[in-house]
Amino acid sequence: MDHTSTLEKVIRGVLITLVVIFFMFPIVWIFLMSFQTNESILRIPPSVVFTPTFDNYIALVTGEMRTAAGSLQLDFMRNLWNSVLLSSVSVVIALILGVPAAYAFARFKFRLGEDIAFTLLSFRFAPPLLVLLPLSLYFKTLGLTNTYVGLIWVYQLICLPLILWIVRGYFEDLSPDIEHAHRIAGYSWFQTFRKIAIPLALPGIAAAGLLAFIFAWNNFVFALVLASADKQPVTVGALAFVTASGIQYGQIAAAIIFSIVPTFVLAMFAQRYLVEGLSLGAVKG
Amino acid sequence: MYDKEKGLFEAFVAGKMSRRELLQATGKLGLSASAAGLLINQAQTRAMAADFDWMKFKGTKLKLLLNKHPYADAMIANIETFKSMTGMDVAYDIFPEDVYFDKVTAALSSGSGEYDAFMTGAYMTWTYGPAGWIDDLNEYIKDPAKTNPNYNWEDVLPGLRASTSWNGVPGGELGSADAKQWCTPWGYELNNLSYNKKMFDKVGVQPPKNLDELVATSAKLTKDLGGPYGIGVRGSRSWATIHPGFLSGYANFGEKDFNVTDGKLKAAMNSAGSKDFHKKWVQMIQESGPKDWANYTWYQVGTDLGAGASAMIFDADILGYFMNGGDNKEKGNLGYAPFAANPAASAPTPNVWIWSLAMASAGKQKDATWYFLQWATSVEHDLFGARKMDFVNPVRASVWKDEEFRNRIDKSYPGYLNQHDSSAPGAKIYFTAQPLFFDLTTLWAENLQKMVAKEIPVDEGLDKMAAEMDAKLAEAGLG
Amino acid sequence: MTTSAMPGRPAKQSRFRRKALPYLLSLPALLMCIGILIPFITAVYYSLLRYRLNLPAMKGFIWFQNYLNFFTDPKFWNTLKISLVYAGLTVVLELVLGLAIALLLQKRTRLNNFLSILLLLPLMTAPALAALMWKLMTNPNFGILSYLVSLLGFPDMKWGSDPATALFTVTLVDVWVYTPFMMILLLAGLRSLPPAPFEAAALDGVPRSFVFFRITLPMLMPYILTATLFRLLDSIQQFDIIYAMTQGGPGDKLLVFQVQAYLDFFQATNVGRSAALMIILWAITYALSNVFIKQWLKLREKAHGAA
Repeated sequence: MDHTSTLEKVIRGVLITLVVIFFMFPIVWIFLMSFQTNESILRIPPSVVFTPTFDNYIALVTGEMRTAAGSLQLDFMRNLWNSVLLSSVSVVIALILGVPAAYAFARFKFRLGEDIAFTLLSFRFAPPLLVLLPLSLYFKTLGLTNTYVGLIWVYQLICLPLILWIVRGYFEDLSPDIEHAHRIAGYSWFQTFRKIAIPLALPGIAAAGLLAFIFAWNNFVFALVLASADKQPVTVGALAFVTASGIQYGQIAAAIIFSIVPTFVLAMFAQRYLVEGLSLGAVKG
Repeated sequence: MYDKEKGLFEAFVAGKMSRRELLQATGKLGLSASAAGLLINQAQTRAMAADFDWMKFKGTKLKLLLNKHPYADAMIANIETFKSMTGMDVAYDIFPEDVYFDKVTAALSSGSGEYDAFMTGAYMTWTYGPAGWIDDLNEYIKDPAKTNPNYNWEDVLPGLRASTSWNGVPGGELGSADAKQWCTPWGYELNNLSYNKKMFDKVGVQPPKNLDELVATSAKLTKDLGGPYGIGVRGSRSWATIHPGFLSGYANFGEKDFNVTDGKLKAAMNSAGSKDFHKKWVQMIQESGPKDWANYTWYQVGTDLGAGASAMIFDADILGYFMNGGDNKEKGNLGYAPFAANPAASAPTPNVWIWSLAMASAGKQKDATWYFLQWATSVEHDLFGARKMDFVNPVRASVWKDEEFRNRIDKSYPGYLNQHDSSAPGAKIYFTAQPLFFDLTTLWAENLQKMVAKEIPVDEGLDKMAAEMDAKLAEAGLG
Repeated sequence: MTTSAMPGRPAKQSRFRRKALPYLLSLPALLMCIGILIPFITAVYYSLLRYRLNLPAMKGFIWFQNYLNFFTDPKFWNTLKISLVYAGLTVVLELVLGLAIALLLQKRTRLNNFLSILLLLPLMTAPALAALMWKLMTNPNFGILSYLVSLLGFPDMKWGSDPATALFTVTLVDVWVYTPFMMILLLAGLRSLPPAPFEAAALDGVPRSFVFFRITLPMLMPYILTATLFRLLDSIQQFDIIYAMTQGGPGDKLLVFQVQAYLDFFQATNVGRSAALMIILWAITYALSNVFIKQWLKLREKAHGAA
């Protein structure tokens, strides 16, 4: 792979630059907006020259927003906390349930196995809107309305199928030989699963976990319908800046930056597993 | 309390003194601002307490569902008054406007008794009422045992009282004798012109007086200003596109959305007069509306005026009000004008949006909830909001006569009072109340978009649209 | 090596435990989610009703009338068409682009690793909020993108508000948000491919295009199928981006399933019609995934058989 010509390197460099520009430009623009007042964002034509202000961030942290209609109270930090709580707990539970299941589907041929796997995937087919009304009625009966438990359960519908099917693919790509050898050396099934299978599939598990986290993070319709204001995630919270007295673009931008940071940190942390991975080639069958 | 202080507070509550004057005067008497705030509450309380047992539901806790809105802010700023007067506690869930009505529909349709009362618009009660989710408030308003003698319901502007009551019959006249009061008006907006005085001066035009002038003036502004466009109106695929300027102008020509005969509804948008109006409206947007009009909802219409991207809007008057303050580039440059689209009309006929309060049928403490509703829509609270907060437009005639309120508005928003006063008598809902309101207004907006995009000619488009609406009405058993 | 071979089977382990193990591993996940079937069945029932919340007197069981109504309704066929076009367009574009980017970043360098995480940023921006920002960026007055294209000689670009460019605009936003999803899954797949066949091909001097189409692509196919399937499921159910950008307009240009069903439910409170519409959507996604999963399992068989 290293016999690349100079021309190819240049072409690759140009292409990568174009890709980065396309995907990063809006992010950079939002980042710049988050340091501007509404007045400076709404200039004709738009301009990159401005005096930076931290007001948007201060408003989010302190919970005081200045608008044309005076000062408004808001609870963005609470929204942020809800998102962290809902997404991380949901993903952890989905991993605990999903990874062993994925392993079972990949390693064993068992009666109804494919049916169970497909059923689990099919939970993702149902448009959320379809189940929302009945769900809110049943939640009311069960006393799950406006509880984190109820929401985390619903979030499994987003996280679990995704984790299951992505991780399954990884397990299938791993040769069972090593596990086999380990079992013969006298280790129990569980020890083998924990010490061999999981570490080898870690890149896949990390990728699936991160993606599930992102999808859970970006959801808002479930919490909106099933919970009160104090349990709303950032996606709902950020819409508070579309106020009756005008839209606060600077604060929405700051809210987006704020809401990206936890996921981004998580991704940087998982990067080692995510893209470097392990030298899988060595263990392939 | 010392009589001297007491006198000060009573003067404040009666509207003879501004809050600042009051606080200065009390400062001289050696009271801290927070203590003074408490005393204001007490004085308001005393003013309302005459001959009524406000403490009857002491200890009750209410929960409200609110939209993030200046009206809600004004209420929250004054909520201690209610709490100390009644000994009740009030909790509230606030949701952003963008998702607010989804939340209301979700909460009500699940039959949840979590919320005792909530904010709503009159159009929404055409769904909530027949669905059995809200109570007829006449049962409370007309019951002297439940309503304090100073409530003065008749003080609420008559057009607004009528617009929030409906007998539930499809096509039934709003405010008829057998109508149920589905909600109490809280704050409202009517639709008129807000314009940029600087730009008007620069081009040398006056606020237009009728539809033809509006089309011509908008075109001239667009041409001569070389940048900003002439007229901002909404255009998104939603009922919200039809209800502001569009319907206000439409109604001024005596045009209707539906004809009701023998309890059956028939679309009336394909009359000759309607076609004429549509043509001019479409032409106006094509010539001098925002380029991406089909995306436009209230906040873009407002944002453009505030940022100097448009010279004039035909939309909610309070949108123009808000754009004249805050950190808007054009703050202080805006003027307001009443607008009667029909040269033959004697006065404007603005369609209105009324933020109101409704009582959830699933609530379990309705009498206590009514205590909150009558306080929140009382003269005292209306006056507090109008003077101290952005509680515009107030819904009570007596508040519109309040000098402090008028002076405040007149000083910072020249022309606003005139705009309101000359339009208020004709301000009401001009839609026909019927259960398919949202389906059919969305369809209307969709066709308007097609006409502006020149995908379909106005005449043919309206004929087709009327036929489609009639079919939908028939399907629902209404046509 | 075949999958049916279990990882070791020490004699002391009972036959029952061996049989039960896969069920013990997979059933908790199933049980966790199975509860959703109850509201789902309720929704199926709703779809057989004439059921408008604001016309309670008309509520009644009408069998398949809601479904039959769709067949004669040109608006329904428009919805079906636009949903499929949208899903096809976005998924194909995102697949091609995602694969291309994954290939560009395939080599394990620090820079590539960093870039691959950086490129996930659009995915981390909630689509509903991202759409709000794109709406501002494409605003003819204040929008940076409108300004930039006007410099390129398109002063009258109307983006989402013009019937001619509306589909392009929402597709652009969808591609921006979701290509990283494809990219990261395919990148992880590419990097897990065994090096042996590539080394052999390099030694033999096989042309690069041949290597790509005959070795890389087939080996990557299971990953492509998984990523495409998940993208397809989400794309045909797209709501956030389209609703926030155009509310289904201009006209009925972008009235996809979920937008129509949302309006039917939340605004018109026509529960029966809304449920029927979404059951159809569900059936479509069910059929599509079935095709994908069959294909996926076949490929798996082949891959393991060949290995």
